[in-house]
Amino acid sequence: MNKEYIHIILADDDEDDRLFFTDAFKELKISTKVNTFNDGVELMHYLNDPEAVLPNVLFLDLNMPKKNGIECLHEIKNNARFDNIAIAIYSTSSSEEDIEETFVIGANIYIKKPSDFASLKKILSEVVSINWQYHTSGLNKDNFLLRL
Amino acid sequence: MKFTGFLQKSLLLKVLFVISIAVIFFISGVTYKHLSTLSDSSIDVSRAHEVSLQLERLMSQLRDAETGSRGYIITRDSTHLEPYNYVRIRIEASFSILNHLTKNNEVQNENVALLENLVYNRLQIMENSIAFANANKTEELQLNLLRGKKTMDSIRNCIATMSELETKILSIRQQKYNNTFSNTPILIYIIILIGLILSVLSFVKINRDVNELKKANNQLSIANESSNMAEIVGNFGSWQWEIDNDKYSFSDNQYRLLGCEPQSFEANFDNLMKYIHPEDLEHVQDVMNRMIQNEKLPSFNYRIIKEDGQIRYFRGIGKLITNKSGSKTLLGTTSDITDEYNAILETEERNRELERSNKELTAFNYAASHDLQEPLRKIQTFISRLDDNEAENLSESGKDYLKRIIVAADRMRNLIDDLLQFSRSNKIEKNFETIDLNQLLDNAKLELSPTIEEKKAVILSEKLPELEVIPFQIQQLFTNLISNSLKYSKENVAPEISITAAKVTASDDERIPSASKDKYSRITFRDNGIGFEQEYAEKIFILFNRLHNKNEYAGTGIGLAICRKIVENHKGYIFADGEPNIGATFTIYLPTA
Repeated sequence: MNKEYIHIILADDDEDDRLFFTDAFKELKISTKVNTFNDGVELMHYLNDPEAVLPNVLFLDLNMPKKNGIECLHEIKNNARFDNIAIAIYSTSSSEEDIEETFVIGANIYIKKPSDFASLKKILSEVVSINWQYHTSGLNKDNFLLRL
Repeated sequence: MKFTGFLQKSLLLKVLFVISIAVIFFISGVTYKHLSTLSDSSIDVSRAHEVSLQLERLMSQLRDAETGSRGYIITRDSTHLEPYNYVRIRIEASFSILNHLTKNNEVQNENVALLENLVYNRLQIMENSIAFANANKTEELQLNLLRGKKTMDSIRNCIATMSELETKILSIRQQKYNNTFSNTPILIYIIILIGLILSVLSFVKINRDVNELKKANNQLSIANESSNMAEIVGNFGSWQWEIDNDKYSFSDNQYRLLGCEPQSFEANFDNLMKYIHPEDLEHVQDVMNRMIQNEKLPSFNYRIIKEDGQIRYFRGIGKLITNKSGSKTLLGTTSDITDEYNAILETEERNRELERSNKELTAFNYAASHDLQEPLRKIQTFISRLDDNEAENLSESGKDYLKRIIVAADRMRNLIDDLLQFSRSNKIEKNFETIDLNQLLDNAKLELSPTIEEKKAVILSEKLPELEVIPFQIQQLFTNLISNSLKYSKENVAPEISITAAKVTASDDERIPSASKDKYSRITFRDNGIGFEQEYAEKIFILFNRLHNKNEYAGTGIGLAICRKIVENHKGYIFADGEPNIGATFTIYLPTA
C-alpha cells in the first residue's frame, strides 16, 4: 500500500453504530480515513462512480433499508473492479444462516458487533491490521467468524 | 361349499332315473305281449267253438234232410220234402263259414274239402233215392238207401276227426301259452321290486341332498348377513354387473351409502349414475369402461350427491371376473371415505397452520436475535463508555447504580442468547452426519477456554466414539454440560471434570427404557462441584428451573433444558445424579447404529 492511510468505508443504517465506529477509529490513533454511508443504495452509488477512491476495507451491515448487505455483497463480488476490496460483514446477528450465506458469496470476514466499546476498538484494530492476501488464502468457514 | 359334490350326486340321480324309466318300459312291454297273446288265444278258442257249432249244425241239417226224404218215400206226401228242399242252401252257407274259419290250418282245410265232397255225395244219393221211389224201383231204392247209410257213416267219422283236431290245436296253444308265460309274474315282481328299491334309493339321496343344500343355503345366508353387517360397520357397499345380460345388483349398504332405503330403486347403470356428482361423472364412466377392458386399475375417488343432497366422497375399486362358461361380471366395492377425506383436509389445514406458526416463530427468532439484541448491545456499549470515561464523575451511589445496570444488562444478554439457542435446538434439522465426538468436545473446550483458564479447570476425557449426530447440537450439548460444571464449581477448588464413554446394550442398563433401540453409547460427565439434592434430578432439566438464587450463580435455567432437547432430538436419554458438596454426574445415552 503506497498510501499513508488506510481507507475504510462503513455502510450501516444505524446512527449510533456509525458513531461508535468512527469514535473507535479516532481513539485507535491508526492512520485511517473513514467514510460512512446510511444504506446500500448510497454505498453502491458511491462505489459505482468510476472516479471514486475505492476503500481498502469495507464494513458491511446486513440489515439495511432499500438495499441490504447481502445485495451489496452480490453486486461487489460480481464486479472485477472491486476485487481488491476486503469485505468485513459487520452485523448484530450471528445466525448460522447469515454466516454461511455471506461466506459462500465471498465476504472475507464476519464480525459480530460487540457489546462494549473496548472490544469494538480491539476488533477494529485487529481487522485493519490483517494481511488480507494471507488471510484470504487460508480462509475457511471456521475462521471466517472473527473470535477474540 | 361342496358344489362339485352336488354335481356328482345329480349325475347319480340321473342314472337312477334312467334305470327306473327303463324298468317301467320293460314292464309295459311284457304286459302288452302277455295281453296280446291272451287275446290271440281267446280268438283261437272261439274259432274252435265256431267250427264245432258249424259241424253240428251241418250234421243236423243232413239228418233233417234225410228224415224228410225218408218220410216222403214212405208216405209220398211232398210236405216231408220241405227240409230237403232248403238243405243245399244251408249247407253251402255252413261250408262257406267253415272254409273261412279253417283257412289258416291246412289239415283242417283239407278235412273241410273232404267233408264237402262226402256231404254233396250224400245229397246226390238222397236225390237218387227220391227219384227211385217215384219210379217205384224198389230194388234200386234199397241199394241206394244202403249206400246212403254208408256215406253218412263216413261223414260222421270225418266230423269226429275234425273235432278231435280242433281240440288238439287248442291244447297245443294252451301248452305254448303256459310255457311262455309261466315265468312272467315272478319276473315282473322282481323288476318292480328293483324299481321300488331304486326309487327308495333315489328318494333317500334326494332327501340327503336337499338337507345338504338347506345347510349350505343356511351357511350362505349367514355369510351374506355377516357381509352385510361388515359393510355397515366398514361403511362400504358392493355392486355386481353381469355384463352379458346387463344385469345389475347392489348390496343393501350400497343403497344406504347413497342415502336410500335398501333395494328402494331398480339396480341399473342409469340409476347409479344419477347419484354421481356431475363433475365426476365422466371420470367414473371412463374408469368403468377401462375396467371392462380388464385393465387392472388402482382405486379411484369420486363424489356423489346423496338422496338428501349431501356431497360425500367415495372410493371405488372394481374387478372383472370371467367364469368357466365365459360370462363376465364386474365386481365393485365402494367405500365412503368422506370422514377420512375430511380428516386429511383437517390435517392439511393444521399442517398449514403449523407451518404458519413456525414461520412466525422463525420471524420471532430473528427479531429476538437481531432486533432485540441491537438496542441491548447499544445500551451495553454506551454503558461501557460511561463506565470507562465518566465513572469518576459519578457519586458513590451513582457508581453502584451503574454497576447494577451492567449486571442486569449482562443478564439480559445471556437470557436472549440462551433462549435463541433453545429455540434453535427445537428445530430438528435432519442433517445428521457421522462425526468423531472427540472433535466436537475439543471445539466445546475451545469455546469455553477463557472460563476454563480463569477457573484453572481440569478436563479429563476418555476417547469418545464416532456417531451419527447433528454436529452443532452435540457440540452445544458438550459446551452446556462443561459450562454447567464450571458455573457450579466449589469456591476455591479448581473444577475437575472427567468424561468417560462406554458401549452399552439396552437390556444391560436399567436406566434405558425398554422398547427402545438396543445399542447405545453412554457418555458420562462427572464433576467435583457443589452438586445438588437428588430429588431435583428431574427438575433441573425443565426450562427456567433453577436451584440457586441468581445472585449466587449466574444461570438462566435454560442450559440443561437445551441439553435435554438435544438428546431427545437424537432419540437418546439424559440423566442427572447429584450429591451436595460432592459433585454432579450427567449421563447421556445416544443410540448407535
